Amino acid sequence: MAVINVTAGSQAILTLGNTAVLAEPDNASGLQIPFMQDLTVNASAGVTRYKVLDSSSEKAFTTPSTNQVTLNALVDDDVFFGNAGVTDNSVATNGLFATSNNKTKIFFSVAFEGSDSTDVYLSGEGFISGLAPTASMDQAVWISPITIEVDGDFTQGTV
Amino acid sequence: MTTIADQIRTEVQSRLAILPVGGFKVSDELPFTASGEPLYVKNKKTVYVDDDVEGRVQLYRTLDQGSVYATETTVTAYLTVDAKNQPGIIDTVITLILDAKDVITGAQIVESTVTSEIEEDYVTYSFEYNITKL
Repeated sequence: MAVINVTAGSQAILTLGNTAVLAEPDNASGLQIPFMQDLTVNASAGVTRYKVLDSSSEKAFTTPSTNQVTLNALVDDDVFFGNAGVTDNSVATNGLFATSNNKTKIFFSVAFEGSDSTDVYLSGEGFISGLAPTASMDQAVWISPITIEVDGDFTQGTV
Repeated sequence: MTTIADQIRTEVQSRLAILPVGGFKVSDELPFTASGEPLYVKNKKTVYVDDDVEGRVQLYRTLDQGSVYATETTVTAYLTVDAKNQPGIIDTVITLILDAKDVITGAQIVESTVTSEIEEDYVTYSFEYNITKL
């Protein structure tokens, strides 16, 4: 039992691809998002509460989860606008902006422990949303929030 | 390699050269001390520009250790004049020296400030240029 230390720089990895296999953490053709400042997996089960006459506490039942992956990252030009030299992963070829703009479904994985054998990750599919690149003279590099609106469940897997 | 101090020294030189009077000049020497006395005190109305003092500051940390750093450079210049009989154009000279910061391009922050200190019968103006580049 131990906390997962991410200071080595190779633990928290978000990988994107146009197929589930491409998006696996150890796939060399996967598009790993660089320069992430933070990464959040939001697996939020919906809950509806109701009151009954014979109980002093509220009752509850669950509704479908809203799953998202959110992050903030410094904008890398190849990753954001695409790299025509990449031919085996259309997400990398087109870049985050075009993929979001075209509302293309992507596959993703969030590695918690890196990409070595037996390392755990969560995967799924969804749509890139929430791009809002910002720059100013106080913050002189482009930074953008990025959201993956997950279509369906997260799936736990190991490398 | 041309340092920021070199650029500022050259710019101050060219700006002072357009003054019709005054006899102000810029020295290529560093403002070191000779016989216990700084050169700018010994040589009045001569601007001395010190070397760059640099520091690297981490601006952004990222999960893949792809950090972004800024280089903060401080350059100090000195000018001493007679305190009792200050040159009539001293305000113009101070403005010209402060505005020499404009020669620095591609920087996130470019600032210049001046402070003065009177000692015995002379006043020393210390100019500080602060430049931040990514």
